[in-house]
Amino acid sequence: MADMRDRYDALVIGGGIAGMQAALDLGEQGFEVLLVERTPSIGGVMVGLNKVFPTLDCSSCICTPRMAESAHHPRIRLQTYTEVRHVDAVGSGFGVELECKPRYLSEETCIGCDECELACPVEVPHEFDYGLGARRAIYIPHGNAIPQKAVLDLEHCIFCGKCEKVCPTHCIDFTAESRAVHVDVGTVIVASGLDILPMGKKPEYGGAKLPNVMNPLAMERIQSSNGPYGRVLRPADGKIPKSIAYVQCAGSRDRSIGVPYCSRVCCMYALKQALLLTHYIHGIEVTLYYMDIRAFGKGYEQFYRRAVREGVKVVKGKVARITEADNYDLLLRVELLDEGGRVDEHRYDLVVLSQGLIPGWHPAGVIDIDEADDGFIETPEIKLNPSFTTLPGVFVGGVAAGPKDIPDAIVEAGEAAMAAANYLIRTRWRSRSHAA
Amino acid sequence: MTDSTLSPVGTRPKRPIEVLRERHGGISGELKTYVSNQQKVYKALRTALKAGPRTVPQLAAECGIPSPEVMWHLMALRRYGEVLDGPEENGYLLYTLAGA
Repeated sequence: MADMRDRYDALVIGGGIAGMQAALDLGEQGFEVLLVERTPSIGGVMVGLNKVFPTLDCSSCICTPRMAESAHHPRIRLQTYTEVRHVDAVGSGFGVELECKPRYLSEETCIGCDECELACPVEVPHEFDYGLGARRAIYIPHGNAIPQKAVLDLEHCIFCGKCEKVCPTHCIDFTAESRAVHVDVGTVIVASGLDILPMGKKPEYGGAKLPNVMNPLAMERIQSSNGPYGRVLRPADGKIPKSIAYVQCAGSRDRSIGVPYCSRVCCMYALKQALLLTHYIHGIEVTLYYMDIRAFGKGYEQFYRRAVREGVKVVKGKVARITEADNYDLLLRVELLDEGGRVDEHRYDLVVLSQGLIPGWHPAGVIDIDEADDGFIETPEIKLNPSFTTLPGVFVGGVAAGPKDIPDAIVEAGEAAMAAANYLIRTRWRSRSHAA
Repeated sequence: MTDSTLSPVGTRPKRPIEVLRERHGGISGELKTYVSNQQKVYKALRTALKAGPRTVPQLAAECGIPSPEVMWHLMALRRYGEVLDGPEENGYLLYTLAGA
């Protein structure tokens, strides 16, 4: 990895698959790149997924080589656990204020052995597993994290000092403080990714109070071999589920919750998860309640047909309400659209809400680019220059510009990198080492 | 002369962890309660599992703890190697203490 300097050709905001792609494309063209990620590891959402559609390749197996490549590239400086506080247009370039958050250890000497984590006595819900699993107050973010360095969560630290005592390299540093850093860059690519609609947005679906109603990213973790349970179990009581319902459009195409758009990936991830469940649990019944199946990508329609052929039941119906029965089972009240709107009630062990995608970050107050009405970054020249934002020299790639699947996110990130390279050449920006 | 002689008589220099604790405002009451409850749940689970393999609903009934809470804490013990998966019994897995 390159050393931290005070001048770069490009700043890439976000270390998910789109940000890594943009950084690598620029680095390969000879530009010096600063890749900033706010969490302790790069990899974004993709590294936590189980498998990808329609190929059913292992997601982390595809993602981790890109992570390693980004981290070891000689022209990419990776700055994790760092927030972009402000970006100011200065001439053709930008002045950037960063806040490097303290891990409370030396990144140079931490060897990622996890002795500190094993010694720590406090367990808290792990963000990587969407709260279903545990981590400790000091922890390695996850098995595929890059960098493989621990981070201390001060909010849950009881200051017992056990981590310091067991660390074989004496890397724990309680004197660490947040550090403000200024850098100058020639261009900026925003690849700040996605979040998923909060579960509580739909009170009729349990309002996030029913433990066996879960979001699809949590189901990805449950299905992953390195997931919180090691197999598919339901969170309320560890039962091996024998019936699971997917509720499509549970958090998109719905003006009442401020998400009027289609999130474009929910049909496919739900079909993928449903199909995999039939592989993982013998005799399971998986039903997908949908408004329309939108299988528009390469090989997607074929995948949909395969899922149905292999036993996933698809029902055109609108789920009106989810309530809890005894033993944490769930009752779904459904309007069956292919049966003249007949209302029926079904009982399931587990329900997955196909929640819509929402922006993972908002630029307001940080960088002077506009958001569109849907909250994603505005792209005023969507047809001919889809990565252009409302501020010249700032480009957008991946889901930051709107919901999309992984292949489209990678293509758009590559386009953003090319547009950024053109901008650097046109404005004759040179970082010091690039000029040398 | 040692470093300790530089401090006023009867005091010692504060260790970095003590300085950090002070800077952070100490440990909140909420965190103290959280950790204390966590230790109580772990103790109850360990005691019940010492008697033999149990499913989550069995542990919940024996310990008088809601089963979602049992599940989360049991999976935490599993992650850190204290509990192992056992065979299936009536649609649930039996869990055992590691080394039992």
